[in-house]
Amino acid sequence: MDVGSQTTALCYPEIVTIFDEVFQHTDALTAATSPDDVERWDSLQHIALIRTLEIAFAIQLSMDEMMEIRSVGDIENVLRRHGV
Amino acid sequence: MPITYPEAIARRGIGPTGRVSSRVPPAARISQLVDAALEAAPECLREGVILQSIDWSAVAPAKVATMLSSLQRARVACPRWLATALLVAGHGLATDTVRHLPSHLKVLQRVNCANGDARERPDIAPLLDTLADDDGVDGDCLAAIVRQLARLGWSEEAVRLALTHAHRVPVALRHIRQHLPTHLERLPVTRLRLAGFSTTQTLADELRPACAAEGWRADVSQANFGEAIAELMSPRDNRDGLLVLLDIDGFAPRDWRNSTVDGFNLLAERAELLGDALAAFAERSGVPLLINTIPAAPAPTAGLLDRRHAAGLRRAIDLVNERLLDAAERSGRIIVIDADQALAELPLARHVEPKLWFYGRIAYSADATRALARNFAQAWGLLRRGPVKVVAVDLDNTLWGGVYGDDGVEKLACGHDFPGNAFLAMQQECLRLKSQGLLLVALSKNNADAITAFERHPGMAMTPDDFAATAVNWDPKPQNIRRVAADLNLGLDSFVFLDDSPQERDAMRRLCPDVTVPEMPSDPADRPLWLRRLTCTWPVRLTAEDETRAALYATGRKASRLKASAATLEDFLRGLEQRLIVGYARKDTVARVAQMHQRTNQFNLTTLRSTDADIAAMARDDSPGIALLGRVSDKFGDHGIVIAATVAIEGDEAVIRSLLMSCRVIGRQVEHAFLGELLRELARRGVKRVRGDYIPTAKNGMVREFYASCGLELVEADERKSTWSFSFDRAELPSSQFVVTSWEA
Repeated sequence: MDVGSQTTALCYPEIVTIFDEVFQHTDALTAATSPDDVERWDSLQHIALIRTLEIAFAIQLSMDEMMEIRSVGDIENVLRRHGV
Repeated sequence: MPITYPEAIARRGIGPTGRVSSRVPPAARISQLVDAALEAAPECLREGVILQSIDWSAVAPAKVATMLSSLQRARVACPRWLATALLVAGHGLATDTVRHLPSHLKVLQRVNCANGDARERPDIAPLLDTLADDDGVDGDCLAAIVRQLARLGWSEEAVRLALTHAHRVPVALRHIRQHLPTHLERLPVTRLRLAGFSTTQTLADELRPACAAEGWRADVSQANFGEAIAELMSPRDNRDGLLVLLDIDGFAPRDWRNSTVDGFNLLAERAELLGDALAAFAERSGVPLLINTIPAAPAPTAGLLDRRHAAGLRRAIDLVNERLLDAAERSGRIIVIDADQALAELPLARHVEPKLWFYGRIAYSADATRALARNFAQAWGLLRRGPVKVVAVDLDNTLWGGVYGDDGVEKLACGHDFPGNAFLAMQQECLRLKSQGLLLVALSKNNADAITAFERHPGMAMTPDDFAATAVNWDPKPQNIRRVAADLNLGLDSFVFLDDSPQERDAMRRLCPDVTVPEMPSDPADRPLWLRRLTCTWPVRLTAEDETRAALYATGRKASRLKASAATLEDFLRGLEQRLIVGYARKDTVARVAQMHQRTNQFNLTTLRSTDADIAAMARDDSPGIALLGRVSDKFGDHGIVIAATVAIEGDEAVIRSLLMSCRVIGRQVEHAFLGELLRELARRGVKRVRGDYIPTAKNGMVREFYASCGLELVEADERKSTWSFSFDRAELPSSQFVVTSWEA
């Protein structure tokens, strides 16, 4: 299992700001935070999340990665893979 | 010692960005490295190292101040990039350094130094107005200004600035997010219905800030996915307008390209259906309908044949767009947004984001959606407000180059030649606005006779009669514009004010806030295009006259197409109705003739680079030579002075020293008519024999045989030059049946 999903502190604290911005979600985030915990994280806002991540970290996410991201831990894994 | 760092920021002391940094302070080791780099700043700049990578928002004002002083002591100028980086981080610079920076950086300096004192606010507001329609403002800088305004508690200004630039710098919206709802509360509501053939949610999201930038709180409701046609057929009656988002993939029947001819017919049928639905909506519903054209696709579906093949995407797109425009033609309620124009700033490949299409049938990329939203919102704003009715325009250095009172009418720059041609183009744009129904008003600080320059200067396109009113006097312009508004019985909000002077614009904004005062570019070359982009002057519907004109044009075009098939070069030249007016170079035309000598390379027999002084000497009455010029016009317009020659005369012999012509009129026999007139004039002066040289250069091969074609005889030739001679008793004067020639009065 990946380290990122076990620890509570985020490796990429920028994600906190992004969640605030995209979902207006200000509760604490953990790797396990998923659409179930974030009220506005629906399939449409998912696009806004992907786009914000792409801009904030200057990366391009693929269709597979769009599907792969189902939690904050997944985001961190993807970012790590992109060498952020 | 001069101040190198603004006191206000140094005194404030705390984080220069004015926001609490969430970052951990840098390790002691890093701080030491940064300190060392700051101490060695002049050397670092010289070598181009280290300073580029410093996070200036983490450096204390005192340290930046020390660095700036050390630069000053070492006489190293603070480069633009460093100035920008410091300002964006919230620091300030010496007044001297800021003076040479672009206006947005000056504004940033000003807001960085501000303390939030209420008295500062009226000073800063007009500065922000100068940024309102400047698309050249650097994004980081703009976001920093917005952030600082928010820090100062001037949320209204922050929100307005962020919204105005949100289409280019969406990140600026982040700094005003918490203030946006309050701002929106104050705006009038407009209830929009949004329908489409693909997902409309992303456009709905972008429409809110875009409409807010136009002064509307958009209450957007969306039709069901893909049900645009149904929505058009049975419109809701509780909405102020309907927006339709059109895209080719959502619109075209699936698989239409696979069975070529049938597929295309299917698409054509659907396009008809859309046209009918639009017409039906326009007839049944009382509200405006805005729909975008389909933009060019990022890739063709029939390669080189994309515009002609039945499966060609370009052909399909053109077909749908044409139906759209047909429908709009029939109803003034349908406004068509030109998507190619709306998306022109984006590379084609960035119009779409394929994964979004596959993920959620989102037809346009986020950037493209934002651009479309802005265009929809602008059109909506324009439609609701209506365009301005009056263009109040300055004279000196706006409609002509130079100052009437100082330079006198003959020195004013306006005409076919550089740099007056930029001012002529500006006049032509003003006349175009007039023909589109706007009133022109001259607003100038001048003696009243300045308006007569339009009649007395030969290069002007406008006449005093083009102005519905004039206020040419020494009263303040805000006072004048109020008087004109009262005379014309119009509100000040019907006026747009064009003036090259930042002071006049500032005064107008302060004293007549209802007048639209755009920031005119300082370079006259940029102004004609800028004026065409000025949204508040755009017409929103065709007038009856426009429609007649368009119809006449369509008939004319048909006629000319018929003609084109049978035309020869001779028919073409005859149809041009060319006129050549020959005259002597005079005080006001010497400069143009000299300029032609300096610039002309191709149609130039001797490439003699005569200067202003040379030509002026030839133009004097007691000169042993003459300088002639020719102005050419045809039925399509006036070309100005395009041909010239200088001739030395001694007794009954004359030598053509130079003969040259602008490329604009090559191949129309103007040169033959001109040389004929030149020779006739020499004969009148008693000349019996005329000689002329052709001196070959790398570029003037086109005139090698020119003298031969005019009846001159070759006297001698070597590789350096050939000499030709004309005898009045042996040859006919050259002429052209396609050029009507006369002499200047």
